[in-house]
Amino acid sequence: MTNKYIIGVFDDEETLLDAVRKVKEKDIDIRDVYTPYPSETLLEILKIKSYFTYYAFLYGFGGALALLAFMYYAAVIDWPMNFGGKPSEAFPSFIIVTIVLTIFLITVLSLFTFSVRTDIYPGRKAIMPDPRSTDDKFVMVVAKDQIRNMEEEYHQMLKDSGASEVYEKEMELKIKP
Amino acid sequence: MYKTKIRGPLILGGKTLRNISEDVIAPIYQKAPLWWWIMLGLSLLMSAFGLWAMYVTISTGIGTWGVNNSVGWGWAIINFVWWIGIGHAGTAFSIFLLVLRQKWRTSINRAAEAMTVFAVGAAALFPALHMGRIWLAFYIIPYPNTRGPLWVNFNSPLFWDFAAISAYLLISVSFWYFGMLPDFATIRDRATSKIKKSVYGILAFGWKGSIRDWKNYESLAFILGGIAAVLVVSVHSIVATDFAVSVIPGWHTTIFPPYFVVGAIFSGFAMVLTLMILIRKLYNFENYVTDSHLNAIAKILIFISLIMGTGYATEVFIAWYSGNEFEMFTFFHNRITGEYTFMFWAMVVCNALVPQLFWSKKIRSNLTALFIISIIINIGMWYERFNIVVTSLANDYLPANWVNYEPTLVEVGIYVGTLGIFILGILLFMKFVPMMAISELKGILKFNKEQKH
Repeated sequence: MTNKYIIGVFDDEETLLDAVRKVKEKDIDIRDVYTPYPSETLLEILKIKSYFTYYAFLYGFGGALALLAFMYYAAVIDWPMNFGGKPSEAFPSFIIVTIVLTIFLITVLSLFTFSVRTDIYPGRKAIMPDPRSTDDKFVMVVAKDQIRNMEEEYHQMLKDSGASEVYEKEMELKIKP
Repeated sequence: MYKTKIRGPLILGGKTLRNISEDVIAPIYQKAPLWWWIMLGLSLLMSAFGLWAMYVTISTGIGTWGVNNSVGWGWAIINFVWWIGIGHAGTAFSIFLLVLRQKWRTSINRAAEAMTVFAVGAAALFPALHMGRIWLAFYIIPYPNTRGPLWVNFNSPLFWDFAAISAYLLISVSFWYFGMLPDFATIRDRATSKIKKSVYGILAFGWKGSIRDWKNYESLAFILGGIAAVLVVSVHSIVATDFAVSVIPGWHTTIFPPYFVVGAIFSGFAMVLTLMILIRKLYNFENYVTDSHLNAIAKILIFISLIMGTGYATEVFIAWYSGNEFEMFTFFHNRITGEYTFMFWAMVVCNALVPQLFWSKKIRSNLTALFIISIIINIGMWYERFNIVVTSLANDYLPANWVNYEPTLVEVGIYVGTLGIFILGILLFMKFVPMMAISELKGILKFNKEQKH
């Protein structure tokens, strides 16, 4: 479903940050911000958090347990082999494979999580308000229904904060929290 | 966030965000220069030679190599360890500096990661070919099968190696590729030709660069960086245990894992230096790969070279101090003196002595000297692997088993082939992929401004 959005285009990070602070002060909900590179300050202002690292920890923890259990089953229960009389339950030598393959699992699962959360896959068409934001522009998007009755005031506020362009666009934006 | 006034500006020439996109993407838009085509032809010839040698190996067998009952591991393992070593620095460079939040990595990490991917790919060919019956390579994968039911031996460092290299290849390729998504998106959004727009559109996976995407992107980089740092240390330690768990004189030492890891990072950093000098010179990237960058790499090389020298001295000392006559023989009569003297001293001179020239600032700031020394280090590291693999095996416990080892044309062919494949990969990387991380360069531009005040 398409919606109407007000797009503010800025030339540098500092100007964008000033504008974002002002818009936040007015309690206007910012739908999204598009930048050519990650901005730590912007993440702090918008209070955007990610639980990605916790997921990765869970993948690693679960993966390590599963791998140890698998090796125990394969080398001790299912088919114990005698290598020069050494015990088949050679726990210390299982650890290396566990570490390495846990890393393998975390990588695969983290890439999958990343792809799902950022909504990317090979050949996916990029849906973004202004393609210049991957080059040198900083783009702030606010839904039009957020600023009902104060449209002109909002336009002026962006202009005053140093926006190089402000325009309206109808598009479909999928945003994952 | 890490800030320093010590290192000076990381990008010169008063660049803007747009300049960075334009400069880094420029080689993709320009026609390939003549040297590129000449090198492409050369690398294809080398690869063809390698493919012929691989075909002979697979169709006839390992008998076409110079290996024998005593020296069962020849050039294949030397080159395997050599390539893995080179492959290490890409990740070491990129990831250690990422985790330590060193901003000067940004101009270099992309090329270092590309180098890793091609080097690890080249390395993986050797154990596969050394199996002899490469079509049975899947036996090493642990899965329920009808051949027993027989599982792989989880206690064997050779299996650890397989697991480690698979994980390493996956993590280096994904770290490299996912790091390029924002840059592919930049090319996609700036492209004027339809073909470029659609090709880079597919490669960019629909990257949008919203602030939430960036948050996830940074988290992914730190997760992969954190776990790959462990892998950098473990992969080469495992390669070292392939040797150290055997009871061959010269191999059976506890110093091997750290010694191998440091050696790997050493050779890889040298290759990064070679590559960055070429990229800087051939594409006029002086504003991005500054003298300060090359200076920093050279300083790291001095430090690692000192560790290498200490490693060599420790090995020789322990051989004497242990009083083990076989160890004494290997080091004093088969390396320092004896048939393989040249290899030993070449290793010491190239790895422990020549890099000490970097103490001089004059040499550190001379591009030609940096380039030549970086090549010398890589030659030295090849000799180190020759020393370890061949000298110990050629003359072990029983004089009746003593033999000489010389590689055949087929073995040389496989090595030349991997060099060809590596150069081919680097050439394609230079032409079709942004050689520096555009978004990361843009991110450090503001630190430049702060340093001016």
